[in-house]
Amino acid sequence: MQWLTVFNRESLEAWRNFKWIWVPLVFILLGLMDPLTTYYMPQILDAVGGLPEGAIIDIPSPPAVDVLMMSIGQFNMLGVAIIVLISMGTIAGERKSGVAELILVKPIRYSTYVTAKWMNYSLICVTAVSAGMLSSWYYVSLLFEEIPFGHVLTAAAFYSLWIIFIVTVNIMMNTLVKVPGVVAFLTIAFLIALQIIGQIFQYAANWIPSLITSYIGEVLTTGNIPEELWWTSLVTVGLIITLLVIASYTLKNKEVV
Amino acid sequence: MILLSQSAAQFFNDNIALLAPIIIIQLILVVTALVSLAKTQYTNGPKWLWVLIILFFNILGPIAYFIFGRDD
Repeated sequence: MQWLTVFNRESLEAWRNFKWIWVPLVFILLGLMDPLTTYYMPQILDAVGGLPEGAIIDIPSPPAVDVLMMSIGQFNMLGVAIIVLISMGTIAGERKSGVAELILVKPIRYSTYVTAKWMNYSLICVTAVSAGMLSSWYYVSLLFEEIPFGHVLTAAAFYSLWIIFIVTVNIMMNTLVKVPGVVAFLTIAFLIALQIIGQIFQYAANWIPSLITSYIGEVLTTGNIPEELWWTSLVTVGLIITLLVIASYTLKNKEVV
Repeated sequence: MILLSQSAAQFFNDNIALLAPIIIIQLILVVTALVSLAKTQYTNGPKWLWVLIILFFNILGPIAYFIFGRDD
């Protein structure tokens, strides 16, 4: 099938660039960092010093779910930056260098080209984020309290939706502008705006995709999936499809600056 | 100073099981970055500089190389 050919080309490139190796590894490191630093915080404070002699450091050990949420916060900051940076040039760079013309001159549909790229990056990023969450969960369970594995799996599934959404926004921006740096800037600006809007209208518009992260805390603690999360996921899936359609359309019709 | 490094070594020995995964992952990152650097023909900036960056900047060095290093 044609789609598979384009997709295989993408994933071959991702293997050759070592993306399949280093992106998951970096996310695993990100996931390990917070449980460890939180666990060793008293020792770290002790070693850094600056405290008067005889000061008693008594930090209550935080709840296990909070530590896991710290890791997720890390994915939301550094993780998102990495996701955006690795995929900023995927279409934009190829158009700039002329590779895209070489491909699209053949009878390949624009939507095939867009969705193959989208699928490739979604797979890499979801794998990486899941690996990161698993490693964080493992360390949290080891150093703090056990969190039921089922809760983490559910949370990871919903969190993956948010990650796929980020990839989709990035692919869409890729079809709008030709300069990879601008693509990264636009994507991050869009995501920050979305997060601010989500925070302001948390109650009026509780279906904004960026709120998935805040609902996940509840999933991790209780294991129940709140009703808002279902709606948010539905909206996110809808937005992902819409963005992909827009991306194929702009790639086909717009003479890009 | 000696005392501090001794206690650091002691601390490290006590917690090796917890810290080992981080060290191993870092090593794999450095090695893959170096392999990739050896294979690529064109880099942004001189190759020897990237070797130094990958070797001496923990975690960030390999990431910076993978994102910005290659010119393809």
